Amino acid sequence: MRKLLTLFAVAMLFSVLAIAQTKTLSGKITDAKGQPVPFATVRIKGTKAGVSADADGNYSIKVSPSQTLIVTGAGMAPTEVVAPDAPTFNITVAMKDASMTEVVVTALGIRRSKNELPYSVQRIGGDEVSKERSGNFITNMEGKVSGVTINQANTLGGSTNVILRGYKSALGDNQALFVIDGVPIDNTNTTSINQVPGTQGTQSSGLGGYDYGNAAADINPDDIASISVLKGAAASALYGERGFNGVIIITTKKGRKGLGITVNGGVTTGAIDKSTFAKYQHTYGANYGSANGYGSPDGNFLYFDVLGNGTNDLVTPTTEDASWGAKFDPNLMVYQWEAFDKTSSTYHKATPWVAAQHDPTTFWTKPFSYNGSVFIEGGNDKSTFTAGYTRNSDRGILPNSQILKDMVNTSGTLNITDKLTAGASINFTNISGLGRYGTGYASNNEATNFREWWEMNVDIQDLKNAYSRTHQNTTWNWKNVQDETNGLVPIYWNNPYYDRYESYETDGRSRYFGNVYLNYKPTEYLNFLGRVSLDNYSELQQERYAVGSVGVPYYSRFNHTFQEYNYDFLANFDKNISNDFNLKALIGTNLRQDLDNSIYGITNGGLVLPHLFTLSNSINTPNAPYERYTNIQVGGVFAGATLSWRKMLTLDGTVRRDQSSTLPAGHNSYYYPAVSGSFVFSELLKSQNWLSYGKIRANYATVGHSANAYGVYDTYNLNPPFGTNAVASATATKNNIGLVPEKNRSYEFGVEASVLQSRLGFDVTYYHALTYNQIMPVQISDATGYDARWLNAGSIQNQGFEVSVNGTPVKTHNFSWDITVNWTRNRNKVVALYDTATNLQIAAFQGNVTLNATKGQPYGTIRGNDFIYTNGQRTVSNDPNNNPGYYETTSTSNNVIGNANPDWLGSITNTFRYKNWTLNFLIDARKGGQLFSLDMYYGLATGLYPETAGKNDLGNPVRNSIANGGGIIYKGVTPDGKANTQRVDISDLFGAYGYLRNPAKAFVYDAGFVKLREAALSYSLPAKVVGKLGQNVFKGIDVSVIGRNLWIIHKNLPYADPEEIVTSGNAALGYQVGAYPTARTFAFNLKLRF
Amino acid sequence: MKRVIYFSLSIFVLASCQKNMTSLNINPEAPSVVPSSTLVTQAEFNMASTASSSNVNLNIFRLIQQYWTETTYTDESNYNLATRSIPDNWWNAWYRDVLNNLQQARVFARKDITDAGTLANDTAIIDILQCYAYFNLVTTFGNIPYSQALNPENTFPKYDDAKTVYYDIISRLGKDAAALNPSAGSWGNADILYNGSPAAWAKFAYSLQLKMGALIGDSDPTESKSVMEAAAPHVFASNADNATFSFQSSPPYTNPIWVDLVQSGRTDFVATTTVIGIMTPLNDPRIPNYFTTDANNSYSGGIPGKGNNYPAFSHAGTAIVAPTFPGDLLDYAETRFYLAEGAARGFNMGAATAEQNYDSAITASIEFWGGTASDAATYLAQPTVAYTTATGTWQQKIGTQLYIALYNRGWDSWTEYRQLNYPTLVAPPTALSVFPQRFLYPSKEENVNTANYNAASAAIGGDKVGTKLWFDKN
Repeated sequence: MRKLLTLFAVAMLFSVLAIAQTKTLSGKITDAKGQPVPFATVRIKGTKAGVSADADGNYSIKVSPSQTLIVTGAGMAPTEVVAPDAPTFNITVAMKDASMTEVVVTALGIRRSKNELPYSVQRIGGDEVSKERSGNFITNMEGKVSGVTINQANTLGGSTNVILRGYKSALGDNQALFVIDGVPIDNTNTTSINQVPGTQGTQSSGLGGYDYGNAAADINPDDIASISVLKGAAASALYGERGFNGVIIITTKKGRKGLGITVNGGVTTGAIDKSTFAKYQHTYGANYGSANGYGSPDGNFLYFDVLGNGTNDLVTPTTEDASWGAKFDPNLMVYQWEAFDKTSSTYHKATPWVAAQHDPTTFWTKPFSYNGSVFIEGGNDKSTFTAGYTRNSDRGILPNSQILKDMVNTSGTLNITDKLTAGASINFTNISGLGRYGTGYASNNEATNFREWWEMNVDIQDLKNAYSRTHQNTTWNWKNVQDETNGLVPIYWNNPYYDRYESYETDGRSRYFGNVYLNYKPTEYLNFLGRVSLDNYSELQQERYAVGSVGVPYYSRFNHTFQEYNYDFLANFDKNISNDFNLKALIGTNLRQDLDNSIYGITNGGLVLPHLFTLSNSINTPNAPYERYTNIQVGGVFAGATLSWRKMLTLDGTVRRDQSSTLPAGHNSYYYPAVSGSFVFSELLKSQNWLSYGKIRANYATVGHSANAYGVYDTYNLNPPFGTNAVASATATKNNIGLVPEKNRSYEFGVEASVLQSRLGFDVTYYHALTYNQIMPVQISDATGYDARWLNAGSIQNQGFEVSVNGTPVKTHNFSWDITVNWTRNRNKVVALYDTATNLQIAAFQGNVTLNATKGQPYGTIRGNDFIYTNGQRTVSNDPNNNPGYYETTSTSNNVIGNANPDWLGSITNTFRYKNWTLNFLIDARKGGQLFSLDMYYGLATGLYPETAGKNDLGNPVRNSIANGGGIIYKGVTPDGKANTQRVDISDLFGAYGYLRNPAKAFVYDAGFVKLREAALSYSLPAKVVGKLGQNVFKGIDVSVIGRNLWIIHKNLPYADPEEIVTSGNAALGYQVGAYPTARTFAFNLKLRF
Repeated sequence: MKRVIYFSLSIFVLASCQKNMTSLNINPEAPSVVPSSTLVTQAEFNMASTASSSNVNLNIFRLIQQYWTETTYTDESNYNLATRSIPDNWWNAWYRDVLNNLQQARVFARKDITDAGTLANDTAIIDILQCYAYFNLVTTFGNIPYSQALNPENTFPKYDDAKTVYYDIISRLGKDAAALNPSAGSWGNADILYNGSPAAWAKFAYSLQLKMGALIGDSDPTESKSVMEAAAPHVFASNADNATFSFQSSPPYTNPIWVDLVQSGRTDFVATTTVIGIMTPLNDPRIPNYFTTDANNSYSGGIPGKGNNYPAFSHAGTAIVAPTFPGDLLDYAETRFYLAEGAARGFNMGAATAEQNYDSAITASIEFWGGTASDAATYLAQPTVAYTTATGTWQQKIGTQLYIALYNRGWDSWTEYRQLNYPTLVAPPTALSVFPQRFLYPSKEENVNTANYNAASAAIGGDKVGTKLWFDKN
């Protein structure tokens, strides 16, 4: 097995470190349940020597056998043990209370025992997010923390929406801040639309583009020791404006004495969950209904002489991307799309008119990922060191899609003197994407094609073969089969395989982030920290649209660099000022600078040569590229103090002042305070044995927020010249010189307690947050000459409950069963809007549907046209001149037809341990919330789904003519209130079930679900077995099988996953278009610890 | 300890590099001031592009007027305005892309045009262009924001009464025409339509006045008479006066029809039975310019509102779909039709009779489309065309010929049709509503300018497509 080591180049480094070791004792500190106890201190009795255990409870110390070790830590009884004469030694300590003694990392990286905290913080262990081996650890947080909503589009490597405690800002990004080891890192969600300044938002409203993912996906999950989620403003005030939406603090693994090597290897594969993709009818084929008269006697087919033999033939209307055509009949011989492909075996041959053997379900490929990582940690008395390397490869459910990720990180600390410590860490990530999925309503989103516009006679495998044969855009959607010279080009849809293999995008992002710091601790109670951190990435996104495709071929490139610098200085004071009182105090400064620089160029009017993707291959001279440069600076000073009495009462206060470059002079600095307190009431009830621990807490905080860059002074767009004339235009968004800082004011109450020897614990929080003076580009009447204007526009209130419960119903020596429940209920309400406004339009979608924030209503109401109701029932017209038998609909489109906000979110995790086996599964639910589905709006109209080809009340096919017993009676009443009895004939024209004959309201669906999100079975090889495999080689071997998105137990949205979003961003709420199916995946992982 | 101090100090030094922070918020790559002329060129392009467009998300009047119908996606031919938010797009194109750029040009001209005479001409031209845009909006929607429009400080512009707006536009055009001084300078080649010619702009203003006067002939004959009689002596005198916008041969400033029909590679539109049924019996010499021939080398059209097989029917003619085909905003031929209307109503339209104006109008149109005077004479000699013998009232004769002449001007055709009501356009049986007499207000107005929208909707008699606008009395 030692050979394994040599596989890794880094191992060389280690042998050097290893030589320095003599007698090192290492092991794990666990509680009585076998759960790791993080960050305990291990000291050698009678000496100054001591080390800290890591987040997993691992420690390593140089010690002579028979010396006594003292283990101390938050919430535990100090434990003394004698060091054995052995290399490993696990220490079990007695906890005062297992659930309340977690050490969590709070703002600015300060570690505090959870029982002292006056605000809500929830911790997730690094293992919990890294074990699934997926490329983006954020999605693995789903269902593991209360108060958090995580949404990820099903696109490969797509971005993730992380919302803590509801949408606070009507048009801000609302995304939580990610902080790694005290260093905020950029988490921009990049999409195609960000490439061109001034067009933000349209992609999340469902227009086309690519989703390049969010930058926090650059974090190596294997490097994460733990994650703390600071949900409220009080917890995050010290991060300034960026803590506004909550903070996700990531602590990376730290080196420790001794040497540890962890090697992980895993593969993941799966298949789409068929309940999240279209189910098709297989009875009727191509066209929009015979009433259109395609030429054949029955009106369903084109009718011309294909072979020139004097006989007219039946030919599929290839331009008609719907399935409202002729009933399939194997005896009917039809010239179909392949009959016009010279390379096809059925060229100029009629084939039976039957449903395709392979519908688009077979287009999706099996996703496959592999992941390998090695992580090394080590150290001695003076220094510590870590290094890690992870490689991740993900292939998605679309052909020719792959994301490769390489992540390297290293960190070290050096004790220069007893009082002075220096440290540094650097992370390097390289992501390269190929063939990301198109999003939204676009020809490069195959899901749009398959869900909305398809012919059921087209076999997807035939298209695959046609592409393989010709490498041309040989499509089912020929423009004109009557003209084989010029007409054999695609009209609306490309061959999906041609799209995937010829019009692929590529992208790459190289990023490094890290920090250097110097920590000086002149006395036990005083500490100074100076830190410089940087986050720097550059990316290149190249989009291609091949010659031969529908429309105008193009190539575009977007070069973007981002740099963020943070300069921090912190002074910390921590002293017991009397036997009863402890005082912690802090002052600090922070200067943040964000530099964002990009250039976007695109060809003009098409490409000269096929297969050549470069700007110089443009048919017309390319227009000047779009350039963007922003430089944002925010300077802050802050101070805080925490006074605690007998570990029972804690009072905490902070204040911060920020000055931002993006606000007008005079209004660009703002102060905000926070105060919080907690009371550990169980200290007074020590006689009550049933109560293990109890605390109440309360806090109040305000946070300020500045504007985006360039929202203050008006500028103009310079456009390509018109001949020799210079051309300029006004911007679509009007700026505002009168902006003032946005503010958030919140308070929170919480109770946490555990009872029955900590077998049952709970944490309940009520929070209330009001965001006011919101800065946003408000959609205004275009009669002003502008689409939008930057305004301090309104106040949104969020209030809710978060509940976490954990229990241990069964606990024996070999077996335990733990349950964790998280439940969140958020209610938001638009309290006030600017001026006399009563409604903000957040986004406008195709289908004349809008997402809104209406005064007095929740943020995220869906508006559109509705049925007209008579006595509460849908009204059906009986006016012979106005579509009799069909629904009457409103001509107005501002009727509230849905609300995108869920009623509550909940999850239950069950964990069973038997000896070395662990089985856990997570069930995750969302109750309520609605979405408008453009896929159903169109797909039901074009007759793709089974409900358009079912039986009517008479038991006959609905698509039969009335004379043949078909037709349908729309459910509802006529305007006079009588039940509608008029049967309408839908045999020959499409649209009866879709958008043509129904208002937008008909396509609003409940977005609730219950899912078996995750199930994992792990096995740790017993120490005896591990020892036999190689004495002194392995410290542990773990094997696990993890299934994800295993089963949607319940949902009401047909043919799609209600969680699927277009891309992240507020507008993504409540709207689905071109939804990709969800992949059900299984991962196999092997973890070796040396 | 010293090292700590140095380290900390260096951070403070770095952190204090924030002199004059707000200057960072001035975009170094976007100008805060641009020459006024650049905005005029942009506004004229946007105007011509919007008016000429055949994009189904924006300009669907050729479909409503049944010159064209759709092949596969028949929504707009069946009056479905909602699914593609067409009223929003039309409204935004005029207010945001045309009117606001003109408004900004107006502001900048006061700063960058130093010669008083030039500034007066420049301002008058901007105002005429704005009148053109408002005329379109008020005649499309009914009541519209006007007196409070184009002011982003007022995010809730109230709607003004359509008739009041309409009459104010007429009056503004008169003042603008009078203010134009042919001996002073103006926009020069930044003005793509007339190269800055004040005289040409005066003719344009009077011709537009004439058009507006003609449109109120039924609703307010007195005002119609006075407007038309005052304008008539000053209107366009030949096709050389036409307001045609020269598009360029390569993107982005091409004719939008080329973008929609050629560059896109799509085959969305075919001719209709309606227009072919009108033109073919008349042996109209313009038909080869309007349409291609079908597979049988003749002219045929699809049934409006039904799906239609593209290869089977005639399509838009090859001239129209060229990238440089000029955008026509107002022309001599239509002016003569309005003079004919005025004369038919008994107004004093100068020496020419209704018939003479009618003949001149048709001749001008045929010549505009590449025909000759003799083609026109042959055409006019037919009893089905000749003014005295053609079928019906003057409304029917003029309406039918105006409909043919306005083939590539869908919006204008729709507007004239709403007053003249000829030729008869039958709504497709599959239509989702009655024939649109107006556009619905944008859904964004419903959502963001709600109180004013509600008031306007009530004032015009309901925000419905079937609500007839004030000028439309028949």
